[in-house]
Amino acid sequence: MSGGAPNPAIAISGLDKFYGSFQALKQINLEVHRGEKIVVCGPSGSGKSTLIRCINRLEPHDAGRIVVNGIDVNNATGNIQDVRREVGMVFQSFNLFPHLTILENCMLAPRLALGMKKSEASRVAQRYLDRVHIGEQAQKFPAQLSGGQQQRVAIARALCMEPRIMLFDEPTSSLDPEMIKEVLEVMEELANDGMTMICVTHEMGFARRVATRCVFMDQGQIVEIAAAEDFFVAPRSDRLRGFLSQILH
Amino acid sequence: MALLTQSELGYFQQLASGAVITMELAVSGYVLALAGGVLVGLVTLLRNPVIQVVWRVYASIIMGVPSLLVIFLFYYGGSSVLSGMVDITPFEAGLSALVVVYTVYIAELVRGAVRNVPRGQFEASAALAIRPLSAWWHVIMPQVVRLALPGLVTIWMVVLKDTALVSLAGLNDLVAHAKTAAGATKEPFIYFIAASLFFVVFSAATLRASARLEKRFGRGLAVVKA
Amino acid sequence: MPFDPTLAWDSLPRMLYGMLNTVMITALTLVFGLVVALPVTLARMSPRLMFSLPAAAFVIFFRGTPAIILLYLVYYGLAQLPSVHDGVLWVIFANAFICAVIGLTLNHASYLVEILRGGLDAVPAGLTEASAALGISPRQTFTWIRFPLAMRFALKAYQNEVLMFTKGTAVVSVVTVVDLTAVANEVFERTYDAVTPMLLAAALYWVLVNLMRIGFEFADRRLNRHLIADEQRLRKPVAASRQALLARWTSLPAPGTEQAR
Repeated sequence: MSGGAPNPAIAISGLDKFYGSFQALKQINLEVHRGEKIVVCGPSGSGKSTLIRCINRLEPHDAGRIVVNGIDVNNATGNIQDVRREVGMVFQSFNLFPHLTILENCMLAPRLALGMKKSEASRVAQRYLDRVHIGEQAQKFPAQLSGGQQQRVAIARALCMEPRIMLFDEPTSSLDPEMIKEVLEVMEELANDGMTMICVTHEMGFARRVATRCVFMDQGQIVEIAAAEDFFVAPRSDRLRGFLSQILH
Repeated sequence: MALLTQSELGYFQQLASGAVITMELAVSGYVLALAGGVLVGLVTLLRNPVIQVVWRVYASIIMGVPSLLVIFLFYYGGSSVLSGMVDITPFEAGLSALVVVYTVYIAELVRGAVRNVPRGQFEASAALAIRPLSAWWHVIMPQVVRLALPGLVTIWMVVLKDTALVSLAGLNDLVAHAKTAAGATKEPFIYFIAASLFFVVFSAATLRASARLEKRFGRGLAVVKA
Repeated sequence: MPFDPTLAWDSLPRMLYGMLNTVMITALTLVFGLVVALPVTLARMSPRLMFSLPAAAFVIFFRGTPAIILLYLVYYGLAQLPSVHDGVLWVIFANAFICAVIGLTLNHASYLVEILRGGLDAVPAGLTEASAALGISPRQTFTWIRFPLAMRFALKAYQNEVLMFTKGTAVVSVVTVVDLTAVANEVFERTYDAVTPMLLAAALYWVLVNLMRIGFEFADRRLNRHLIADEQRLRKPVAASRQALLARWTSLPAPGTEQAR
């Protein structure tokens, strides 16, 4: 458990989320500090995706409190936009805009949400595309790129808003095996540059190398949180032990 | 509280009898076009170059021409061509025109649906040593029906509404009676609204029935790209 | 086929005049139809019943009613209402051409609403989510992401509707508008020859419809170039082929090619 450092990047307390009568999240408590890399893992349906989607309010929560960089996540007008400017998200299915070039994909949000001028947005976009090693393909459309390339563009697109926290929802689960490495490399570079990250993933090798803490979820609850090494080497709960034995083969 | 006058009642009764004729024309036209369309659609899938060319030309002509013109052609033109031998009634002219035109649209729909059945279905049937005719009957056609269903429903709605055009060829259908009543009573609004409500109600009923049909044949999946 | 070429040739000018009316009615209706359909579509998709119910009623009525009845309703039916008959707008509603455009616009718009709705539904939800996650407002998401993509998804359905509709304009002849079909009828009534004018009119409709179809193919290619995954297909070697053609006609070697000796 991390000590009570002042002003955590994300503070979640008593979080509940229901879909009708089904409870997807049960009393989630989690503090994420600046610069931490959290990996969330667990069996399907454990609520991991739901949890991070509540953070940027793609899903509304039903009880409890989420505070992101001092901003309370709720329905108050203006709040949601403020939160989404602090938090970037990368999706499992990339969700690039198919009718725009990848440069235009990256320029769109800075222009529309930050009011940036076209020329400046273009420079910012090119800079981040270069950073994910795909700058030369700036004029291409998403359909002309491979899955791994598209996901790297998606990461660049989120970075163009210069968020302080990045959320990853199973970013490599839709990729062919040979393309997973290039995406994980970009994510590792991002981590080494000090980005605060929460990553839902099955890539345990990546988790061991990059995570500061790991969270194991099952049936809507956090079962165990531990520093990365302890998590894999000395799991305390039986459920986590069972889960690890299933996926590490 | 003024109820319908005697004459008004009479006109609505006429509308009702006209509606019956409209329905007869629509149903018989659609059924014949459906039968013809499936047949023609399947035949034109054969890889015979002559059939292909003839089909392309014929389909292009029929689909490039208003159905109203075909109706006129069959009614006015038909009478003169068969000059005196047989009198063509408006119903017959309208029926033939609708059948000729919508057979083509349904055939195109069927062709598109067959092409959208995944190749794997044909291959799997062959690999399982199912004879071609049985494969078509048991495996392919049910899927064709499911794929073509939305389009077939759309075409039924088009046929139903197109029957209104046959009134212009002299058919005493719902629209013709509505027009007569409108002219005689100088109150066109009520009669035309009544006529349109007939079509609206049957369109809505069709949508209900088709939703149930689509559920029965499995979800109405891919829209056939005609 | 009792086709009379002389009659066909003589009636051609008048037929072309009728076709001009057909084209004008089609064009006007296509434009006004979109103008009417956009707000109705938004109302139809609104979660507020106050908007979605009337919009649904609009679509059900104007889509379910045959065009001919709608034309009768506007042309004869509206004339019956005293507010219209004695009103200041009578000049407008007494004009057959305008009545035809109004009736057809309402009909066409109702089909467009369903087509636009289908297009908007076809936009993957993930794209809307990604846009929201980037901090783009819902209205901007609609303008830049949802609507442009809906248009591309709906293009095929839109094309089908426009072509069907163009053929459907033949019905305006019943309210005394002198379109192509009306002219064909004129000629028939004058000469008792049904086949010649009808076939000629059919041919002219066929030309019109196919010209429009070709136009749509251009639009489709331009709007969907982002779907072309193969880079080679994008780079059209137009210049090279022009030079190659030139070489063939003038027996000069095309630049970059080996000259056979």
